[in-house]
Amino acid sequence: MPPDADESMPAERSVHDLGGASGYGPVPHDPDEPPFHADWERRVFGLLGAVTSATARRPGEFRYALERLHPDDYFDNGYYGRWLAGFEVLLDEYGIFEGGADVAIRVAQLRDVALLAAGRTDLIPTPVSSESPSRRVSPVADRVPSLLPPDRPVPAPQHRTVRPELAEPPRFSVGDRVVAPAPTQRSHTRLPGYVMGKPGTVVKLHPAEVLPDSTAHNRGERPQHVYCVGYDAQTLWGDDAEANATVHVDLYECYLTAA
Amino acid sequence: MGDEHTHGHHHDHHDASSPEIRVEALEDLLIEKGLADPERIDATIRRFEHDIGPMVGAQLVAQAWTDSGLRQRLLADADAVVAAMGLRGPEIEHVEVKANAPGIHNVVVCTLCSCYPWALLGLPPNWYKSPEYRARVVREPRAVLAEMGLELDADTEVRIWDSSSETRFLVMPERPAGTEGWPAERLAELVTRDSMIGVARAADPAGQ
Repeated sequence: MPPDADESMPAERSVHDLGGASGYGPVPHDPDEPPFHADWERRVFGLLGAVTSATARRPGEFRYALERLHPDDYFDNGYYGRWLAGFEVLLDEYGIFEGGADVAIRVAQLRDVALLAAGRTDLIPTPVSSESPSRRVSPVADRVPSLLPPDRPVPAPQHRTVRPELAEPPRFSVGDRVVAPAPTQRSHTRLPGYVMGKPGTVVKLHPAEVLPDSTAHNRGERPQHVYCVGYDAQTLWGDDAEANATVHVDLYECYLTAA
Repeated sequence: MGDEHTHGHHHDHHDASSPEIRVEALEDLLIEKGLADPERIDATIRRFEHDIGPMVGAQLVAQAWTDSGLRQRLLADADAVVAAMGLRGPEIEHVEVKANAPGIHNVVVCTLCSCYPWALLGLPPNWYKSPEYRARVVREPRAVLAEMGLELDADTEVRIWDSSSETRFLVMPERPAGTEGWPAERLAELVTRDSMIGVARAADPAGQ
């Protein structure tokens, strides 16, 4: 992780909350980049449906598993490495493979077969052990989220997360000045750290959605109006800001108060 | 993460921490438990590697370039257009199209994960999911775009869209000069993936 001594940012950020973090270099850009770089990435992608059907079925739950990963597991093998680590965490937490022991044993067996085929029997530990590293992960937050809005019935969903309308009218209108205070404790949220506490302007209302801060923790759908909030770059980054830039972030109504 | 990691890159079956060996173990176990079907895994991979890709979004943009009514509908209510065209798939529950214009340039990111309109653009490239792009493009968009080969005038407003809800964004690049009279199929070849994320302009017609 880069050093993040930047005073414009909240002191404690989760591993995934990268917007505005300092210390990063050039984007590894390739205009013709293919979707996969190795066959193992294909296999990880192909397993998403199977793993989430058996484990993280609620909106936000898979993302929350990734957000709890150790930085090494989050960054070391890129996007699909992150998914693979998340799969292992979820399969373990849901007890699909009896506490992860099955995975460790199978990994050791596959490795030993490969070593045997390569004639490197000297590297095979005796007896076969299950020393393969397990994933380091933060536990699911137990007291959170503390500031959830009330749950309420909604029209039958057209989609899994997006709701066409809510009975309650939106609290804010286009042009309103709003601010999203920093949450008091860390749990799943879609509020990026770099806009916490900064004033912005509502530029548009999106369709309502279920609240991932709640569904990820199995606390009900608590659907919310969703606002596209525009932040002047100067407001976010101060004197370092580039001129003539606006950053738009989509925020759930319960994140916001009048600025 | 500016340092070089010394571990995690020995991708072979001799190393119990390598992703190759760990995903093989997971796949085997899920199949043995009846929780995964190898044919479905293969079909999912084939679909996203070959059937869905930037050409879907490129055709949408090219048609909007040649049909002002469609362009208006796409900018006002992309969901209705996407539904009417029968486009389906993941990550497009709600889509918004942002049109570039003289003096306005749009660019899309997801700083919290890597949200992307899969059914319109295919799976995102690694660079879009990289910590470098996610960290920097909200803070120094002009510098990042310039490094990626796109210089913007100082008086062009940069509008960054951070995909933090279920809304997915697609940028409609400006139609290049010198393409008058081109049919949509030919125009679509100019509409690159990068141009629909907002890190490039549409391709130069002279190069086609």
